[in-house]
Amino acid sequence: MNRQPPVLQVEGLTKHFPVSGHKVVHAVDDVSFSVSRGKTLGLVGESGCGKSSCARTIIRIYEPTAGRILLDGEEISTLNQKQLLPYRKKMQMIFQDPYASLNARMTVHDIIAEPLRAHRVCSSRQEENEMVSDMLARVGLNKEHANRYAHEFSGGQRQRVGIARALILKPELVICDEPISALDVSIQAQVVNMLRHFQEELALTYLFIAHDLSMVRYVSDDVGVMYLGQLVEKCEADEIYRHPLHPYTVGLLSSIPVPNPRMAKAREKSGLEGDLPSPIDPPAGCRFHTRCPYATEQCRQEMPQLKEASSGHFVACHRIFNR
Amino acid sequence: MTEHTKWERVSGNEEEAERIYRKSRSFLGDVWFRFRHKPTALCGFILVLILLVFCLAGPFFTPYTYSEQNNKMASIPPLLTVYPGPEEGSYLYITQGMKLIEVDNEGNLVRQLKKKKDDNAQKRTSFVWDDDTLVYLDYSRLPNTVLDKEGNRIEVSQKKWNHTYLLGTDQLGRDILTRLMYGTRISLMVAFIAALVNMVIGIAYGGISGYLGGRTDTIMMRIVDIISTIPLTLYVILIKMCLDDGLLSIIIALSSVYWVDMARVVRGEMLSLKNQEFVLAARTIGSSTKTILLNHLIPNAMGPILVTVTMLIPSAIFMEAFMSFIGIGIAPPMASLGTMCNDATETLRTNPYQLFLPALVICVIMFAFNFVGDGLRDALDPKLKK
Repeated sequence: MNRQPPVLQVEGLTKHFPVSGHKVVHAVDDVSFSVSRGKTLGLVGESGCGKSSCARTIIRIYEPTAGRILLDGEEISTLNQKQLLPYRKKMQMIFQDPYASLNARMTVHDIIAEPLRAHRVCSSRQEENEMVSDMLARVGLNKEHANRYAHEFSGGQRQRVGIARALILKPELVICDEPISALDVSIQAQVVNMLRHFQEELALTYLFIAHDLSMVRYVSDDVGVMYLGQLVEKCEADEIYRHPLHPYTVGLLSSIPVPNPRMAKAREKSGLEGDLPSPIDPPAGCRFHTRCPYATEQCRQEMPQLKEASSGHFVACHRIFNR
Repeated sequence: MTEHTKWERVSGNEEEAERIYRKSRSFLGDVWFRFRHKPTALCGFILVLILLVFCLAGPFFTPYTYSEQNNKMASIPPLLTVYPGPEEGSYLYITQGMKLIEVDNEGNLVRQLKKKKDDNAQKRTSFVWDDDTLVYLDYSRLPNTVLDKEGNRIEVSQKKWNHTYLLGTDQLGRDILTRLMYGTRISLMVAFIAALVNMVIGIAYGGISGYLGGRTDTIMMRIVDIISTIPLTLYVILIKMCLDDGLLSIIIALSSVYWVDMARVVRGEMLSLKNQEFVLAARTIGSSTKTILLNHLIPNAMGPILVTVTMLIPSAIFMEAFMSFIGIGIAPPMASLGTMCNDATETLRTNPYQLFLPALVICVIMFAFNFVGDGLRDALDPKLKK
């Protein structure tokens, strides 16, 4: 059963952006993970930690600086854009901003049909129409919406159009780059439930990027925590909420608001302090040491490796392994 | 009971509530809606239409051609100062060349009278009216006038609108109205073609530069910088000097230079658009570069492009008029607004209308296109949406 390679496997993925003055932004540094078929990996971290860069590098909008990306066991990180075309069919992306991700000059029909046209899926106009209206129905929009422009829709409806565009080619891997963070709470639930429904129906694999930890817990099988371009902790979703190991994860989790004020008061106050250091010149040693309450001399000098602390629970922290 | 009348359950299901009733308005429809609700823009647009009708259909309704000369009828103004003639309902107009022209009651120019004798002593000239009648032109003191049958000066003159040449004639006796039609036609044609060529070159150049970015962009934009450091007028004149006279060379000269502004505008738009999420989405989908450029980037950059084009048209018109004015533009006898102005400068003091009419048309064209461009800019700005 486990013979099948994971749908997505990322090994040592690195993305550096050159900036003026011969400096580089270390957006993604040596990130490795894999997602098996039908599962969801949630990727969390605060703004600017490299989640989106990671996603965009995997889908090859950005060229990876180093590392391997394997889709269904096939290396795609070295292919050029033309060779990549058949693989594009297998992986699609849902974008964060439903306002910016739809072309204002195109009708909903054209937006949803664009993947079909790019890959020459449909032989006739009629077939295309059928596929588009079928997809519209599945994301909960009606047929009449097809000839309208994106600006005539609400945020939730637009995101449905974005999802329809991503799913019409029946991809295997869908990268959701904060698909719900621009929506209001009632719509978020609808969209997330729709995504889960499609996962069951089409056996989709998700890489789900978010900064809303409670939503990630709801949708993910596994969770990876990123800090300053690096993966610092990775394990099953429930495990990370029950036994967070990395001090950064602990800090993140304590920032989730608790509805009951008595419980909130009782909770240990360990909120994160300070700002994310600049990714142009990341701190030596453990990148979190500038904000870590437990930082030692070792943390300042030696970079911790991602190691298995307990079964299936990986963490990159000296403190855990020195105990 | 009262509750029931105040609060009633709305019938209908959810699907009904989700339905959109408003008619879908496409992007262009939206632009047109905002455009026609701006009075200056609409006014400019109507003026452009009128000018187009004037220069395209006008020549079919005029009995004259742009090159037909009539020396007997040179420099006749649109508003004639006439004196009563020997017969009832006939009038005489004194030309600047001290000739007499018979004018009928409607203001039609009938004929030029034949000169008989010039009496230098009495400062009068006699003209043959018919076989046994002479009329006299008296130039003993200003203003020159015609003598009546008793030989007295007729001091009372009348004003009559020239009915034969509605806007008068130039110093070679060509109908100014007809020449204005042809001149406007040339000016608009030069402007439209130049604007179109500039648009195509500018979009291609700026689009490639902005979309590819990086070193290509740097090199291409430095070339544009170099071109634009030297005044464009100078280029146009130099290019024009190397080519033959004529319409084609003026179009080549204008369109080979003015695209730099367009290229800059398009490049700027491309730079800001290419990192927008919908373009990234198109790339993750696997759309070709051609699709991305033609379906995503250029349609979204169309607003600033259209505005630049409409602003480019008046400057091309002005450039053409300017070149014709300094004598390197359209070759005579072809009419152009610039050559007409140029011809008129010599006789500006005596015949100001010959300069003011073409100048007025230039002004109207510039006004119209500037208004349209201004209106388009506002209409295309989605932030101003109501």
